[in-house]
Amino acid sequence: MTVTLALQLAIAGISVGSIYALVALAIVIPFKASGVFNFAQGEIVTFGAYAALILTQLALPYPVVFVGVLLIGVVGGMLIERTLIRPIVKAPEFTLIIATFAIGLLIKGALALRFGDSPASLDGPFGTDPLLFAGLRFNPTAIWIFACTLLVTFAVLAFFRYTRLGKAMRAVSISPEAARLMGIKVETVYRWSWAISTAIGTVAGLLVAPLIGINPEIGQLILRGLLAAVIGGFTSIPGALIGGLAVGLIETFAGVIVGSTFKNLVPFLLLMLLLVVRPQGLFGVAEIKRV
Amino acid sequence: MSLRDVLPGMVVIAALAIFGAMVGSYPAYLVSLAMINIIAALGLNLLTGNSGQISLCHSSFMAIGAYGATLFTARYGLPFWISIPLAAAISALIGAALGFPARRLTGLYLALATLGFLQIVQLGIEEFADITGGVRGMKVPKPELLTGLRVSEYGIYLVVLGVCALAIWTARNILRSRIGRELNAIRLSPHAAQALGISVARVKLTAFALSAAFAGVAGGLMAVVVGFIDPVEFGVSASLRQITFIVVGGMGSVAGSVIGASVLSALPEVLRPVKEYSDIIYTLILLGFLLFVPRGLATVWDRLVALVRPAAPAIGSEERAR
Repeated sequence: MTVTLALQLAIAGISVGSIYALVALAIVIPFKASGVFNFAQGEIVTFGAYAALILTQLALPYPVVFVGVLLIGVVGGMLIERTLIRPIVKAPEFTLIIATFAIGLLIKGALALRFGDSPASLDGPFGTDPLLFAGLRFNPTAIWIFACTLLVTFAVLAFFRYTRLGKAMRAVSISPEAARLMGIKVETVYRWSWAISTAIGTVAGLLVAPLIGINPEIGQLILRGLLAAVIGGFTSIPGALIGGLAVGLIETFAGVIVGSTFKNLVPFLLLMLLLVVRPQGLFGVAEIKRV
Repeated sequence: MSLRDVLPGMVVIAALAIFGAMVGSYPAYLVSLAMINIIAALGLNLLTGNSGQISLCHSSFMAIGAYGATLFTARYGLPFWISIPLAAAISALIGAALGFPARRLTGLYLALATLGFLQIVQLGIEEFADITGGVRGMKVPKPELLTGLRVSEYGIYLVVLGVCALAIWTARNILRSRIGRELNAIRLSPHAAQALGISVARVKLTAFALSAAFAGVAGGLMAVVVGFIDPVEFGVSASLRQITFIVVGGMGSVAGSVIGASVLSALPEVLRPVKEYSDIIYTLILLGFLLFVPRGLATVWDRLVALVRPAAPAIGSEERAR
């Protein structure tokens, strides 16, 4: 493998990995705040892609589409949280897992009804001509995705560290009861944790659409996002970013090293291995449970 | 076992046997599929309903049963009544192998591990196309009793009926035995169970192996009845469908598996006029039951019985539901 090829593969890996990182981030935030693991996140990404498609067809400029998709995500997340999640937030884990799965299937079913199976495409904001730099080819859309992923990650980090709501979210994730006694509105925290995570999900859909096209199967991304979240340790924001990039890189290099037949299997074998050996992830802290 | 216990079952079996002989091949085919769903639901319910382990890969064990049985028949000419039990045994072994790492995992982590396993099985089927036919699927040879001696469609119907009855009987007996009580014990409190001398790890392994065996049988029968298998049939949506069976029917009860699988197997036929909405309706039913009837239809039946006979003894009433 020449250095150029390796670097080129690394670029490809990082650009798909950025999307996985966004999906992982969207999974981690509500899990951190309310302990609800959102298996519907993949379908929310698909939803974002279709929302972007519709807004673009209205001949709106890209920045407006971007903000529109973001707002749709915020409102959609609040709606889902209020109507479907809040009634069962204290239910057993089984109920929560299956319920979020079912929400995903509902979104997928509704999208299939409205749009059918026919794929659509969406142009990126910066065209498709690759940029040449130091003998390497950069896809402008991929750079844009990477930049957005970095921006979102640092924004979320800053949000948790410096804002009132972010601090409240951290408090609730440690102990909802204690947080409530300190005057934090736990419901507000849950609502915003969903709003932020679905907004990241829908924006991920908008970003990824030019790269992989729009079809009902975009939701499959969640499997990679899950792996990224597991690598990152479920509750760590930088972990989600690193996990996503790692999954992208592993997948891309696995394609060259072990051949395309096994390329798709590698992430899942890794997932099983990690869950067995180190379920708290590489960056997470093992949870100590008192009986 | 007294006659009073066996008689209602016998009557139902006889009625279904006569039904299969009288109606055309399509209704009989639908009933066969419903019975196969019951077998799969029974297995999943032992694992999820009784021992409390989440599994998103039940359909993978059906896939192992279906592909295993078909390959044994197609490659080595084994008749279905050898190839299906053989495939179910392999499925149980793989189930135990999956149970091995799963012993340490609970809840969410187990859901993720089983989801990963499902992907591995599905991708494995797709990637090894020269053995499994890949995404294009595989035709299943017509079932033969011995080489050259073909079984009629009605014959297969009777086989499915017999196996389904056997599966219900087995599941009932498992739950009434030591292992059944152990399964329930590790769900209700793993720590208390461990303290009472139950090896939680061993029981989890057993639960995975048992449920995989049921799924393997169901998968093998499905391959024979449908005559064609492809990996799409064994994806995550199939697993969720089976979870819907036991949620709607009732978790942890044999009656629940039977009721849930029967009712929901009939649903696609009922929804035929609004076919494009059927996926959404199906999911809404799952969500509705999770939110409002978390204990399923089986308990609704119990409550109705309790209304009619308010003096029913409290002790053992839970046993009756199982």
